[in-house]
Amino acid sequence: MTAPLDVSGSAAEAHPESVLAGAGKAIQGRSLTRIAWMRLRRDKIALAGGVVVLLLIIMSIFSSPIIAAFGHPPLEFHQDAIDQNTLLPKGTFGGMSSEYLLGVEPVNGRDIFSRIVAGAGISLLIGFLATLVSVLIGTVMGVLAGYFGGWVDQVIGRIMDVFLAFPLLVFAIALAGVIPDKGFGLEGNGLRVAMLIFIIGFFSWPSIGRIVRGQTLSLREREFVDAARSLGARHGYILFREVLPNLMAPILVYATLLIPTNILFEAALSFLGVGINPPTPTWGGMLSEAVRFYTLPHFVLFPGLAIFITVLAFNLFGDGLRDAFDPRAH
Amino acid sequence: MRRKSALAAAATAALALVLSACGGGGGTPQQPAQSASGGAAQPAANVALSQVFNPSTKKGGTLKAAHSSDWDSLDPADTYYGYSFNFGRLYWRTLTMYKPGPGPEGATVVPDLAEGLGQPSSDGKTWTYKIKSGLKFEDGTPITAKDVAYAVARSFDKETFTHGPSYLNELLDWPKDFKGVYKTPDVDYKSAVEATDDTTVVFHLKKPFASMDYIVQMPMTAPVPKDKDTGAKYREHVISTGPYKFETVEAGKRLTLVRNDQWDPATDPNRPALPDRIEVQLNVNADDLDNQLIAGNIHLDVPGTGLQPAALGKVLPDPQLKARTDNPVLQRLWFVSVIPDTKPLDNPDCRKAVMWAADRVANQTAFGGPVAGGDIATNVMPPPIKGQQKFDLYQTPENKGDVNKAKEALAACGQPNGFSTTMSFRSDRPREKALAEAMQQALARVGIKLTLKGFPASSYFSDYAGNVEYVKKNGIGLAAHGWGSDWPDGYGFLQAIVDSRTIRPAGNYNLSVKNPEVDKLIDQASAELDATAREKLWVDVDKKVMEDASILPVVWAKALLLRGQGVTNLAYNEGQQAYDYILLGVQ
Amino acid sequence: MLTYIIRRLIGALAMLIVISMVTFGIFYIVPQWAGATPEALASRYVGRAATPETVHLVAQKLGFYDPVVVQYGRFVKGLVAGAEYDYGAGVEQCPAPCFGYSFISGQPVWPDLLDRLPVTFSLAIGAAIIWVLAGIGVGVLSALRRGSFFDRLSMGTALAGVSLPIFFTGMITLVIFSYGLGWTAPGGAYTAFLDNPAQWAYNLLLPWITLAFLFAAGYARLTRAGMLETMGEDYIRTARAKGLREREVIVKHGLRAALTPILTLFGIDFGLLIGGAVLTETTYTLPGLGQYAILAIRNQDLPQVMGVVLIAALFVVIASLVVDLLYAVVDPRVRLS
Repeated sequence: MTAPLDVSGSAAEAHPESVLAGAGKAIQGRSLTRIAWMRLRRDKIALAGGVVVLLLIIMSIFSSPIIAAFGHPPLEFHQDAIDQNTLLPKGTFGGMSSEYLLGVEPVNGRDIFSRIVAGAGISLLIGFLATLVSVLIGTVMGVLAGYFGGWVDQVIGRIMDVFLAFPLLVFAIALAGVIPDKGFGLEGNGLRVAMLIFIIGFFSWPSIGRIVRGQTLSLREREFVDAARSLGARHGYILFREVLPNLMAPILVYATLLIPTNILFEAALSFLGVGINPPTPTWGGMLSEAVRFYTLPHFVLFPGLAIFITVLAFNLFGDGLRDAFDPRAH
Repeated sequence: MRRKSALAAAATAALALVLSACGGGGGTPQQPAQSASGGAAQPAANVALSQVFNPSTKKGGTLKAAHSSDWDSLDPADTYYGYSFNFGRLYWRTLTMYKPGPGPEGATVVPDLAEGLGQPSSDGKTWTYKIKSGLKFEDGTPITAKDVAYAVARSFDKETFTHGPSYLNELLDWPKDFKGVYKTPDVDYKSAVEATDDTTVVFHLKKPFASMDYIVQMPMTAPVPKDKDTGAKYREHVISTGPYKFETVEAGKRLTLVRNDQWDPATDPNRPALPDRIEVQLNVNADDLDNQLIAGNIHLDVPGTGLQPAALGKVLPDPQLKARTDNPVLQRLWFVSVIPDTKPLDNPDCRKAVMWAADRVANQTAFGGPVAGGDIATNVMPPPIKGQQKFDLYQTPENKGDVNKAKEALAACGQPNGFSTTMSFRSDRPREKALAEAMQQALARVGIKLTLKGFPASSYFSDYAGNVEYVKKNGIGLAAHGWGSDWPDGYGFLQAIVDSRTIRPAGNYNLSVKNPEVDKLIDQASAELDATAREKLWVDVDKKVMEDASILPVVWAKALLLRGQGVTNLAYNEGQQAYDYILLGVQ
Repeated sequence: MLTYIIRRLIGALAMLIVISMVTFGIFYIVPQWAGATPEALASRYVGRAATPETVHLVAQKLGFYDPVVVQYGRFVKGLVAGAEYDYGAGVEQCPAPCFGYSFISGQPVWPDLLDRLPVTFSLAIGAAIIWVLAGIGVGVLSALRRGSFFDRLSMGTALAGVSLPIFFTGMITLVIFSYGLGWTAPGGAYTAFLDNPAQWAYNLLLPWITLAFLFAAGYARLTRAGMLETMGEDYIRTARAKGLREREVIVKHGLRAALTPILTLFGIDFGLLIGGAVLTETTYTLPGLGQYAILAIRNQDLPQVMGVVLIAALFVVIASLVVDLLYAVVDPRVRLS
């Protein structure tokens, strides 16, 4: 489950206990995946979440034709739809009409529908890729710590402690504020997106690292690993052929639950004004502008709902996935 | 003052009728007032711009004010906010001051501590002020010319007082070895400022300077008793010379002023000092502040920068609320610096293409529209600056830009298909962000592609747009910028933003005007002693800058101010560019 | 036990040192990589019409000409042994722990932090009481009525609660309950508990509820899972067989075991919250540590940033230490080594 995002750190992560419990079973045979799939299919709510996630992905892939069909280009100004004195949209409900499905933004009259659709891509991209970063770092560190133990475990454990004690949000804001404009062959918003992915991913790895470490620790003592070792298998072989495949289930489950956290994280950074540069639309950025115009319900509601629906869908799906791997929840 | 208030009462009532009939604007009533009933003026928009609204001489009550953040400092040597200069006059007095009250007279200076305005020597390098007798600090000790000279000398130390203006540091002839009154207490600073006797202060300037009376109305000349001076900690208890003194100061929370019984109204014709108590709440949520002002729970928004967008949507459509507003034009220009260091903007024709392509209406809307934002600016100097002339070298149909002319300019510049550059803005300023987005849209029409980059306001000039190295390395072509005047003449407004000789490696405010001809005109104007000729020369500077196309004016700023309920004696002062805080009273 | 505590404290200290170094590095070294000179750094902190000479003086005063290591050393020395601050007319002693003086206002940082801590603490404690009570209550009821409508509704609500960004719920609740209905405080104000308890609660009520809603979800789910697990254990059956009343079985045996993981979570959540509920404080403009952190970062006021980051980290460290010690008390199987 997603960690509540108003702590400035990342320690309030999901409860590894239940994830671990599910993964423990995964080791016993491949058929578990099939069992889990059967369970998942029966879980209507989780499936609904999955379908919404799928729809969101499709929407962000085909955002251009969707916007072309139902809206106006997301960056295009429509100041004729704005009252010049108050800078608020003309008409009722924030200028909602067949022309502008969800109304227009104050000041510049940009189409809110188009901006919501266009903003989905950034949210999902950062959510997915940042999770990938945490999973990669977390898995490597967790496996190393759990498998080798000893001083390696000690060092990695201390590093994780430092990360968990970091006032993370404060730190991310500070870092995002000093991002240069050019570097690593990227420029402008390309670089900013990359940096945000890195910052969010980099600070979230210890939670997944802890889980992987615990799993590896118990796997190391299993018979089949012992058997491989006594047959003279090298570390590399054991790690990649015996340990990693058995870690896939908990990692997958945990990654699914980390995505919504990261989406919220990106929205929070954009909300605090250190996200993507304008005019690229992001949901958090739209909300941050809406603060000044809190009297316009539509301007606050739609980006907020977009974040809510996306995060909830991921949470429902991830939750179902975990339950499917964890029979005890039933 | 009292006589004036009574007259104003009659005039205000009459004006209110005229205004509600013709729907705003200035002007004076043609007919004598018919029913000037006891000073209860009819509320109407913009009344307080030309008249004292709700005039009163009734003393007593508590004036409740609020601030959405906090002062930079309450120390007269260490503050540089207009509202702080304005509010500070409740507890300090300076040699001169802006004439209190409404109308154009408010931008002129009158004596405060001094008996009269400054006496310049024939070469304009020595200015002498005679101060009144019978003046006292809040502890009863008499104020002498020495205290004024000491205050000026202490303000020299910019290491201790980092925020305050440094005009006197630059103008006066300080001894070489003088490092401030704390570090070099034994160095005599009389070559810069001296008290020749108990009532005479003499300033010695490095070169002739005509606007000295404007400089000494700034708080650096507010007397400070040497034995009570605690350096950077003086702000915690400023020894009052005005009608009020500190009761409590809680940084970031509240500030309370009470009457100073040592202040003698006989020495001060300018301050009616009506309320018994003044309370300021600090760090109030800006939207909540507006709501409380509307509801009448507080009387005054201290920074006085105008209503937030949310309140705007509530106030403007409501005739009753709108009648409580004033909408003055400020001595402030919001603009875009077009930086010639960045290719291809080194070519004037490319800069002109930007001038032609910009959509002035969209820019105005981005900055808050015609009411809360300002009037579309066609040149650099804002209208309240003395001698300002409005002219337009880049006139386009309906002010929406001229694509054809822009393309011609691009062709002349050798970039017929347009070019790409970067525009910077302060990311914590939503209006500048909206401006950058509007510029991006407008310039795209002629093929000029803008990449937008937001930077924190705190380091915008030190690290980014005002940092020469950064601008060159990162190819910043356009930069959102704003400038307000310290006093309403050409020098006060223009010098800091168009004189290329002020440019240093970091922390610049002149980002783009690097034209030797402009510099030459500035020198001519500064040395010109005849006021009319001088004003004309500043207009020439303005024209030269517009020809150079290195500043794209956006709006001459306006603010939508809301008069608090139950506030009496309220008037907009052009010198302060805000309501005149020393006049206010409560019902 | 004692050696364990000492070892943990040393570890905590090392952690704080690392965190302070990294924070220092971000604000000092990163700008230098970007090519900022000492003067450029100083010109952030001077008034708008500063002369180059002023900038130079300020750079000198703030110590920007020294190597970063020296500057860091000075910071640490101030923390440990106190420092002196020249306020012009004299020199002031800044006793340890001296976090230095704001680059912008010249005010000492430590009193600022002490001033804002009660705000954040009040926010955290009130919200924590609500979310723990609500979370555990709902969790127990859901577990006892597993599969019921109540169970499904509360678990659905829990999931929704954690999916809502607080800057969104905050804005909506402000618009409805404060600006609209006028039931709750519009934010921005804080009254000390000792000054006026009713006003204190009134000002914080809305942030408490919103924040608690965010956290209660996790606690409800964790309680429910824990209860389901323990209620199936043998010793519960034994307790029932002994003829204990159901209420006693649930509270004394079931809940107690289920609470252990909650304790861990609570310690860490609470520690992090005291370090600054950044988003909540920003949304409701509460003058706590989180808001202070954001302002400090916006103004690039380094002494303030260092102060707030270290305080936040300190609370996390203390919280996790306390949790571990409590663990040993609650669960006899845990032995500290």
